Amino acid sequence: MDLNFFLSSALNGVVYGAFLLLTSLGLSLVFGLGRVVNFAHGALYALGGYAVIAIINQTGAGYWTALLLAPLAVVPIAIAIERATIHPIRNRSDVYTLLVTFGMSFMLIGAIEYVWGTGTTLLKPPAPFEGTVEIFGNQYPLYRLLAAGVSLAVSGGVFAFIQWTPIGLRIRAITDDPGMAEAIGVNTKWLLTLVFGAAAGLAAFAGALGAPIFAVHPEMGMGILLDSFLAVILGGLGNLPGSAVGAMVVALTKSIGGGYIADWSVAVLFAVVAIALIFRPTGVFGRGRVA
Amino acid sequence: MRRLQPVLFALCVVALSTAFTASVSAQGNSIKIGVLTVRTGPASPIGDDIVAGIQTATQMYGSILGRPVELVIEDSLFNPQNSVTKATKLVQSNQVSAILGTSSIETLALLAVADRLGVPIITSNSGPAAITRERCNKWVFRTNAEDHMSIYSLQDLISQTPRLQNAKWFTLGHDYPWSRLVAGSVKEVKDLNYVGETFAPLDTTDWAPFIARARSAGATAVIMPVTLGTPLLQFIQQANEFGLTKEAVLVAPIGLPDWLVAKLGSLSTSVVSAGSWAAWRYEDSEPTTKTFNEAFYKQHGRVAGMQSLQAGSAALMLYNAIAKAGSTDPAAVVKALESVEVRTPVGPLKFQPGGRQALSPLFLGPYEAVNPPRYGAQFAQRVEVFPASKSLPKSAAELGCKL
Repeated sequence: MDLNFFLSSALNGVVYGAFLLLTSLGLSLVFGLGRVVNFAHGALYALGGYAVIAIINQTGAGYWTALLLAPLAVVPIAIAIERATIHPIRNRSDVYTLLVTFGMSFMLIGAIEYVWGTGTTLLKPPAPFEGTVEIFGNQYPLYRLLAAGVSLAVSGGVFAFIQWTPIGLRIRAITDDPGMAEAIGVNTKWLLTLVFGAAAGLAAFAGALGAPIFAVHPEMGMGILLDSFLAVILGGLGNLPGSAVGAMVVALTKSIGGGYIADWSVAVLFAVVAIALIFRPTGVFGRGRVA
Repeated sequence: MRRLQPVLFALCVVALSTAFTASVSAQGNSIKIGVLTVRTGPASPIGDDIVAGIQTATQMYGSILGRPVELVIEDSLFNPQNSVTKATKLVQSNQVSAILGTSSIETLALLAVADRLGVPIITSNSGPAAITRERCNKWVFRTNAEDHMSIYSLQDLISQTPRLQNAKWFTLGHDYPWSRLVAGSVKEVKDLNYVGETFAPLDTTDWAPFIARARSAGATAVIMPVTLGTPLLQFIQQANEFGLTKEAVLVAPIGLPDWLVAKLGSLSTSVVSAGSWAAWRYEDSEPTTKTFNEAFYKQHGRVAGMQSLQAGSAALMLYNAIAKAGSTDPAAVVKALESVEVRTPVGPLKFQPGGRQALSPLFLGPYEAVNPPRYGAQFAQRVEVFPASKSLPKSAAELGCKL
């Protein structure tokens, strides 16, 4: 195995990391703002995959239009879920919301199976991006590169929004000190509802973008949910830049590890997370929460 | 007329109660057969095929000993603990005479309680060889070919296909014992150029790192012991996405389920089966397969898949055994199963003398377009039969089965 193989594996890692970034950001935002460990995030990701297919099939829209509409279809569902199930128990222990979202993930998967069945649907990449390009001496799928670019651009937009807009300022204020933010008049409850919806939109966008690569099936969100949690833990709970680094570390470990030591790649990944938890429990930048 | 009203009323009551009694007695007189398979979750297409196959075989066979057959279907959830609970319920509460429909997970779980259940269990979708070898049990029969039999058919496929003989072989599968068994069998083939192997974690959704490894090794034949269902679908799609299907032949050790072939469409033509457990195009030479396919299509509106054909075969073996035994007494049915010989959708079947493994053929061949489409199928496997005589020793004792 040569340098080209290493570089190809690293490229695979960056591409997967770009998807992970989208889902981890949502998880991290929701945890930072409301200390909600959202186990339903994976099911919302799957809902995005189904939404894109439903829009294409029902309306005859093209893939790109469906990609933009899919998150818009999922956001109201997520907002309704937050208002109906998380909002009423906001003042209780974190375990309550954890259990609620855990149950909600099964309900959402059940609903998907009820509406669309349990089968797997393949979706072709949109026409101009079906082929491959040569990178590092190997053919690489064009759509994967494009999807990674789009993911990184959207994630960049999220960072910019949090950093430079008045709403972003409020989100950061609540994340740093919810009591103080509330004391100076920030409506934390509605903001959590909106952020929950936006995070679901990001997850749905990732699911829709990933549909032509990973196929669409009811449990498609379970694997990426686990990897996203690992990324968020590595980066520090509630810390967005940390989550970005965490997403890339998880994806590169899986990809390069999968290439060289497939049998041990999962063990290596969890070892990395365990070591990080022991020595940097507040994340790579030391600014996340311990719990 | 008014005087007649009470008489007419009485006649109606008598007629209705007679009809009701007849219906209850028909239900009460039925032979109940348990079907234990996965009905929910990602593996449910497998269960759908199994149930559909048993339904068609039941309809084809009609009544047994003058009694109708009633199927009692339970969801195993593909979970060992739940399988035992549901099997116990089928036997104790529903009082089924036998259990059909199990796959590896359920069969392995039921092996431990088969003596307590005390009814024949005929699996049609279980690969692990141990089920009919060292762990064989008086009550548990198998109609599909077991994993070791598939290895012989794979070796036969390689030896008769020059393109595969001269290929650079690579094993790309899930990280479990079956994959290593398959890899070992390829390595055993004399003078074969084996260039590597990689085993992905069971929850893999992105196959890119593993595909990169196969390409880096220069593979031109990739055998893929990947779990049937969504993972295999994802793998083949991604192999195509990376152009691996242009560089290498994909070899499926036990073929592809037909619902998966339908989803893959023309992509399925990059795959060669090294030993499917059943193939509907066997109808070109086996009349029973054709009869079954037609009945299946009429009943379910789709082509009979690999698991349907196998499950239907298991059901026909059971029904013939009950008829031969002349009763549903479990011990008598087991005795009849040991000697019954039946024409099934996978050909004439009987169980190995002294054992519990059916002498099932395997079906080799590439997937190709079907012109004109039959039963709604546009792509299917071309069929070459690999008889059980080439893959099983004559006596069960040689396999380590001591009943």
